[in-house]
Amino acid sequence: MNKFKKYIEETSKSIALPLLAFFLAILSGGLLIAFSDPKIYKLWKSPLEFLGTGFASAGHAYLALIQGSIFDGNLTSKNFLLGFYPLSETFVVAAPLILTGLSVTLAFRAGLFNIGAQGQFIFGAIGASYVGFHYNLPPVIHALAAILGAIVLAGLWGGLVGFLKARTGAHEVIVTIMLNYISVYFLLWLLSTQTFLRKGRQDPIAPPVNENARLPKLFGMDYRINLGIFIALGVAYLIHILLSRTTWGFQFRSVGANTLAAKTAGMSVPFVMTSVMVICGALAGLGGAVQVMGSEYALTAGVAGSFGFDAITVALLGRAKPLGTVLAALLFGALRAGGLTMQANTTTPIDIVLVIQALVVLFIAAPAMVRAIFKLKNVKSGTDMAAKGWNG
Amino acid sequence: MKKSFVTGSIKAIAAVAALTLLASCSSSSDSAAKVKACLALDTGGVDDKSFNASAWAGAQAAEAAGAEVKYLAATSDADYAPNIKKLVDEGCNIVIGVGFLINGAIVEAAKANPDTKFAIVDQDGKDHGPAGDQYPGAVIDNLQGIEFATNQAAFQAGYLAAGYSKTGKVATYGGLNIPPVSIFMDGFARGVAYYNTVKGKKVVVLGWDVAKKDGTFVGGFSDQAKALQISKNFEQQGADVIFPVAGGLGAATANQSMTGGKSVTIWVDSDGFVQAPQFASVLLTSVVKGVGTSVTAAIQSVIDGTFSATNYLGTLENQGTFLAPYHDLESTVDAALAAEVEQLGADITSGKVAVS
Repeated sequence: MNKFKKYIEETSKSIALPLLAFFLAILSGGLLIAFSDPKIYKLWKSPLEFLGTGFASAGHAYLALIQGSIFDGNLTSKNFLLGFYPLSETFVVAAPLILTGLSVTLAFRAGLFNIGAQGQFIFGAIGASYVGFHYNLPPVIHALAAILGAIVLAGLWGGLVGFLKARTGAHEVIVTIMLNYISVYFLLWLLSTQTFLRKGRQDPIAPPVNENARLPKLFGMDYRINLGIFIALGVAYLIHILLSRTTWGFQFRSVGANTLAAKTAGMSVPFVMTSVMVICGALAGLGGAVQVMGSEYALTAGVAGSFGFDAITVALLGRAKPLGTVLAALLFGALRAGGLTMQANTTTPIDIVLVIQALVVLFIAAPAMVRAIFKLKNVKSGTDMAAKGWNG
Repeated sequence: MKKSFVTGSIKAIAAVAALTLLASCSSSSDSAAKVKACLALDTGGVDDKSFNASAWAGAQAAEAAGAEVKYLAATSDADYAPNIKKLVDEGCNIVIGVGFLINGAIVEAAKANPDTKFAIVDQDGKDHGPAGDQYPGAVIDNLQGIEFATNQAAFQAGYLAAGYSKTGKVATYGGLNIPPVSIFMDGFARGVAYYNTVKGKKVVVLGWDVAKKDGTFVGGFSDQAKALQISKNFEQQGADVIFPVAGGLGAATANQSMTGGKSVTIWVDSDGFVQAPQFASVLLTSVVKGVGTSVTAAIQSVIDGTFSATNYLGTLENQGTFLAPYHDLESTVDAALAAEVEQLGADITSGKVAVS
């Protein structure tokens, strides 16, 4: 019982900062929403109305955000359960985000800063798409093959980073940023080749993925939610086990904590770096596969959106822990799904959501500021991430 | 101290939430039988000064005819389907997809929501089967494709350029070799060829080969440096009229026309004199693609109850494409040439002159 109490205390300390950072971001986001409404500038002279209008437009926007991410009563006219459609959308967006977030999280734990989830996501999407449309395999097997294609391609792409770092000392931040560019332009080129060009179309879109290679939908055709979210949650659990229960995971963490000590202890640092980046690549690639096989069904030039970059934010917000990453990804999924409704129901531009995301990172990156604002002591500010700066 | 701050803020939040709940309940019951027309934009955003902006302007024009209009912008390709669903759920009578990338999501939505009307700009709006390879595709009763015979106005532009050129060389280049782009270049080159046939001249077109269906391309729509380089090369080869078909990249060419002083530019998609007035002194004319006109027409057809799955084709005749006025350069265009270009337009419409 005592142990349990201690656990709760520890957890509440470590989640206090992200929660407060999120609260501050919502607060400043609300101010932005209020001031982006042109009506408010005409009300300077009557402070009460001014405040009221400001609160109302921010409140409307956040209400729409909730309607778009959890439950919307307007959708229940045909069927009450349809009201939860927004929640299902949150999961649709969160699934690839969990996987890319885990990719960044795992790298953090091994002392690496993986900016390359975007590129790895693209390679995963390419692998899944190609296997998905080019072959004709039976159900289940086809989906597994497509996932395998994504994992292998993206794993190799990620492994390249670890290999370069281990062998030549090339800094993974630079390598992954550059590989992101290469991935984007490789995808653009690929989509202009005969193999990847959809028949009858000249614009950059690949043929649709075969029915057999699509991830099954969980609640019928009315919802887009698919098996992807369970794949993501399952993988998150596996990563948790990997990090906390296996020798391999211990090696990852040891190299992350202190490379020299790990080396002295007899661990092969090059092997650990390469293998961790292979897994990171595979994770982000699996995200790409889930996106292509679960909701988009076709490879396009913009398939990766900003999943790979949001992943960094998600991993930071999740404090480089698998569970935290899952929760942060769900939150971001809710923000993205709700943002669309916010745009639809109010005049708030969708860009505000992106600003809120950026503010979250800003506040998390400045723990001293958050602590100063809330006059906090005793809040754990360190994370479990071990990525270092330029001299790491 | 700290505690009171926390409880205070909780109370404040609760109060705001309660207020907004009340407000949102009271403000959603004044929609009469107005036709609601909604645009699903692509990632360019509503203020891209091009495609999306024209479409939104067209929708706003339909507001005068009694439509209620709104738009949703996308931040990535993954937003298209959810945005369209949102518009359908909201009770939009017609949902118009702007841009070829939205096509897939529009086709799916049209099949799933037979009671809502749909239109898609720059695509044929047909169902090409699960693998997307069945041509011509099946008609979807509630989906209208919107396409443009921009080669008609481009043909006029080619004729004009050939007659305007002092060096006997004119040029064109594109963003990507895709049909909505190459159709302009093809029309332009054929217009020049038609001028040569009629006048017995030998004006050369750089940048597009009608027979090979290939030519000079930037490889995208955002590389200003490459567009500038292409424009410089054309000038060095002696071209004095350049027709860039690459959206906003036309600015690079117009810039070169202004600094080099050796060429004039023909703008594309919208009237450059209005959209990019800083280049007014070097814009000969613009080959306008009437995205706005087509969107207005589609919404109007829903208001009138005449909507059909028959595709809209923007032509010179219905002003879905046209040559913009010469504006500041009007004095430099020979009056006889201007008259010939205008007559050419009438001949294209009547079918006397074939543009492809």
